[in-house]
This record gives sequence, structure tokens and C-alpha cells, in this order.
Amino acid sequence: MADVLIAELESPEGAVATARRVRELGYQRVEAYTPFPIADLDVALDIPRSKIPWLALVGGLTGCGLALLIQWWTNAWDYPLNVGGRPLGSYPAWVPIIFETTVLLSSFTAFAACLLASRLPRLVHPVFDLPGFERTSIDRFWIVIGDAFAADEDVRAEELATLRRELSRLGANVIQARLGEEVER
Amino acid sequence: MSAATSTVERERDELRADPVLIRPGTYAEVTDELLRAVLRPPRWMRPALIVTFLGTLYLFAAIAYTVTTGIGVWGNNIPIAWAFGITNFVWWIGIGHAGTFISAFLLLLEQKWRTSINRFAEAMTLFAVIQAGLFPLLHLGRPWFFYWLIPYPNTMAVWPQFRSALAWDVAAVFTYFTVSLLFWYLGLVPDLAAMRDRAPERWRRRLYAIFALGWHGSARAWQRWRIAYGLLGGIATPLVVSVHSIVSSDFAISQLPGWHSLVFPPYFVAGAIYSGFAMVVTLMVPARRLYRLEHVITPRHLDAMGKMMLVTGWIVTYSYAIEIWTAWFSGEPYEMYTYLKMRPAGPYAFVFWTVIVCNCITPQFLWSRRIRRSPVALWIAALFIQIGMWAERLMLIVTSLAQDFLPSSWGLYWPTFVDWSLLIGTIFFFLFLFLLFLRFVPFIPIAEIKELKHDLEEEEHAHG
Repeated sequence: MADVLIAELESPEGAVATARRVRELGYQRVEAYTPFPIADLDVALDIPRSKIPWLALVGGLTGCGLALLIQWWTNAWDYPLNVGGRPLGSYPAWVPIIFETTVLLSSFTAFAACLLASRLPRLVHPVFDLPGFERTSIDRFWIVIGDAFAADEDVRAEELATLRRELSRLGANVIQARLGEEVER
Repeated sequence: MSAATSTVERERDELRADPVLIRPGTYAEVTDELLRAVLRPPRWMRPALIVTFLGTLYLFAAIAYTVTTGIGVWGNNIPIAWAFGITNFVWWIGIGHAGTFISAFLLLLEQKWRTSINRFAEAMTLFAVIQAGLFPLLHLGRPWFFYWLIPYPNTMAVWPQFRSALAWDVAAVFTYFTVSLLFWYLGLVPDLAAMRDRAPERWRRRLYAIFALGWHGSARAWQRWRIAYGLLGGIATPLVVSVHSIVSSDFAISQLPGWHSLVFPPYFVAGAIYSGFAMVVTLMVPARRLYRLEHVITPRHLDAMGKMMLVTGWIVTYSYAIEIWTAWFSGEPYEMYTYLKMRPAGPYAFVFWTVIVCNCITPQFLWSRRIRRSPVALWIAALFIQIGMWAERLMLIVTSLAQDFLPSSWGLYWPTFVDWSLLIGTIFFFLFLFLLFLRFVPFIPIAEIKELKHDLEEEEHAHG
């Protein structure tokens, strides 16, 4: 169970400005939930660029090698068949399948990596229990600050006040909630 | 500045004069409007589903008859072993090309108008590829042995022959279907989440929650989604080009006059995109009217689709001309006979002239901006093009096989009742699947439309 502070905004620009400000105030565990992708948030939240393209490349190369190996092994080695004296290693004739398998495995890797890296599929996530979360897929932009209450006790109240003041200044509707707690529906 | 000088400014002025979205409301309004089609289906939906379902049953009856009796019930025979079956296969898979072309190619080119219609076109791709896949399976004669096409260790100790274009076909079609499905589904996940969060009934929230896979739309998840989606688009673009190239190799690597031609791969790809755009128009124009989506699918979309059909129509026309010219220039008697005599004046001349009228003359009307922007006129043109593209494949297959080298082995083909039933049945099955899609899936990409709205507003804001 963890207390979090949520800044709810009505515009993507507001979300970006808020995210930037929250990060400037030194908060580390900040996540944004939005109805559509906003590229500027990646910068504002210092999200490192995903490695999916590299994984897809590895997947593609695997597919490429696998297709070459299978075609060579089946047609040139394990069951050599002389068709009008054509060479057993007919590499140009294998290109189409090599290409198709490369594409198949690299797209499959990209798809799987995209979901798995986001820990999906996971039908129940703690954030779903936060009040009003369902609007983040429609028209609300949320900045969730996970370490808003993490400061030492003597400075916590002061820091929280600063944070709340800043968030209000930026036009956010501030909600305090507790993650991981069963909520009355 | 009044006269736009740079490309960016010119594009902006164009977008303003001819918008891709007309007066979108707030984000919530946009979402609700696009979800309404699914949450409260129109009244015509149920009867339409019933009719197409009956047609689908008819298809399966024809399939059952074919499989239990044998493909002797088709009109195919030596020398014309490929006829309706392969014609339908090539036609359907060609139609499937527009979907990925619109989604992937236009995504890479950052064409803003693609957003409203991409999911529509992708779904069409999937359903068209399903129809296409049926025909080679049935044409095997013993479809329950289809897995022999896949290299798996078996007690017969034999393997598929990868020097054959037919083995390439299996890989191409299977890969195309899988990648199209992944691309479509990945794009759909955030919208299914919106559906989960907005549906009024509990069962519906539950159902969409499962298919949304627990999507939460965090900034990190969105970044991965954007990258993976763009990546799939980039990978799918050469894939589109490869699939029909490989299908064309089924013909081009043979020695038959009329098939043995280097121009086939680009010519087939252009033809595929041509018929695919025609199919998108055929489905989009009625859907846009019935669902009142005139402000999301604007005249600008119709115009762009019309232009695409004009361009690909010309590529196809040019290919016809080149084929005929090459045949004549080769001086090869069999080639010359097929192209200069058999096709325009042989027993199937009416098919040839149908092709010329539908594929070469119809698109010329699309030079007119008024026709491109008139839904009815564009729809009629699209129908003609579809008929023309189907006839083109029939002409290609049947005229080449009917009269090749030795007159002693010539023969003619006429379709049987079962042939026609299968063709018509797949059209019903396709429409049935498509209606199910319209009924249950947000068919205009909601998250992407909101993103587009945001981009357009930002642009507007930046330039005043």
C-alpha cells in the first residue's frame, strides 16, 4: 500500500508542463497516464528510449538464419533432389522464404516486446482502482507521483504543500489516493 | 504571409482549406461519438448480419460439397487446372493489400488523412486474406493434408520443395496474415481500453477488458506502443510488396506464354493496390453514410483514394501495354499468339475487353475532381474496377492455359455452378466478417484521431 498524489489535467500541454515541473521539484517515481501518445512526455519524464528496435532486429536476424538453415538442410542436405540438374544449394530460390521469415519473426518480437515490457497482459493493475482512472483513456491526463509522501517526516508537510501549490498553479486537480487498496465500487 | 512558400506552409494551407477532420469536439465527445457506433448499433445491423450469415452458410455448403465429392465438381480440368480457384485467390489477396498499404506505407509517409480509415482498411485486409486462403486449400483437392506444405519431421522422410513458388506462397500468405493481424491488434488495444472504460454494461466492460489486455496508457507504455507500431509499419511495407510479387512468381517462373514475364511482380503489386483501394471505397462510402461519419471521413479522403486508384490504374494500364509490346517485340510465335490473338480475339475475348473497359477506361473519369469527391460516382467506379481486376486474373490464367504450345492439348474452361457458388459465398463471408467488425470493434481509431486532433490544434496554435 502506498499513498500517491495524482495531478489530473484536462489538456496534453498541461500534462507536459506539470510532468516537467514535478520532475524539477526532484520527484523520481512519476508516471503519466494519457488517452493518446504524447511524445513530449518522454522528455519531460526522462523516459529512456525503448530497446524494442534492437530486439526486433535480433528477431529478424534469427528468422533470417533459421529460414536459410531449414531450407538448406531439408533441400540440399537431408533430402537432395536433382531437378533438371539445378544446383542443390539454390540460394536465390530461397530468398522469398528467408525474407518472409525475417519479417515474421521481427514483427512478432516487436509485438511481444511491446506488450511484455509494459507487463501486459495483466488484466488487473493497482492503478485501475484509483478513483476516476477510467477517464484517462477518454479525456483526462494524469500525472501520478509515487514518492510524494516519501520525504523525511520533518520536511514532508512542507514539501507536500509546495507540491500541491505548484500543481494547483499549473491548473491540476489534485487527488490524494492510496494504491493497492480495495476500493468500494 | 499570404502566398505559401515552404512545403510545411503549403501543407498547412492545404489542410486548412481541405481538412482531414471537420470540427472535432472535445476529446470526450470524439470518443463517445466513435464508440457510439459499437455501443448502440444501427437498426440495419441485425438484418444485414442475418443475410450475410446465410450467404456464409451457403459458402460452407459449397465447400462441403467440394470436399466430400472432389474438385471434379469445379470446371477445372487439364489443360486448365487453375481457373476460378486461383483467380479468386489472387483477387482476394490483392484486395487485402490496400489495408496494409494504407496503414503502413502511409504511416511512414506521415500522411495525416490515413488515420480515419486505416483500421477499416486493415480489417478488410484480414478478412480478404481469410477468403484468399480458402482457395488454395480447397484446390489441393485433399485439404486435410495441407500441413504437408510445412516442413515438419515426418515418417515419410520427405520435405517440401523450396525451389517451387508454391512453397513461397505458403510462407508469404501466412506471414502476411500474421503480421497484418498483429499490426491491427496492436493498434486496437488502446481503443479496446477506452471501450472497457466507457461501456455502460458490466458484461461488455468485462469482455473488452480481456481483449484490452489490461492496457493502462502510461507514458512508458505509450512510448513502446508508438515505437512498436511504427516498427511494424516499417516492416509491413516491404512485406506488402513482397506478397503479391511472390504470388506473381507462381506465374512468372513458369514457361507458359502469357505468364513467363519479368514485369509480373510490379504489375501484380500495382494491381493489388488498385483493387484494394477499390474495395476500401466500396465499403467505406456506405459505412460513412450509414454511420454519419462525413466529418471524420471527409471529401479529402475520397479525393485521396480516387487519386490512388487513378495512379495505380495507370500503372496497370502501362503494364498491359508493356506486356503486349514485349510479346510482339520478342518475335516469339507462342507469346505473340497469346497476347495478340488469343486474348483480344479468342474465345475469351469478352473477358479481355471487360478488363480493358473496367481497368483502363474507368479510372480516367477520376481525373475529374468532382467525380473523385462524389461518393456515389467514386463508389460506382470502384465497383467497375473490382470487376475488372477479377476479370484480369481470370484472363491471365485461363487464356494462357487454354491455348499454349501444342494445339492438340488445347481446351476450354467454363465455370460450374459450384465455382460460382464459392465466389459468391466468399463475398458473403467477407461481408459477414466485416459487419461483425463494425458491430463489435471501434472501427475508427479513437486514440489516433485524438492524437491527430491534438496535432492539428497544436499546428494551428503555433502558426496562428
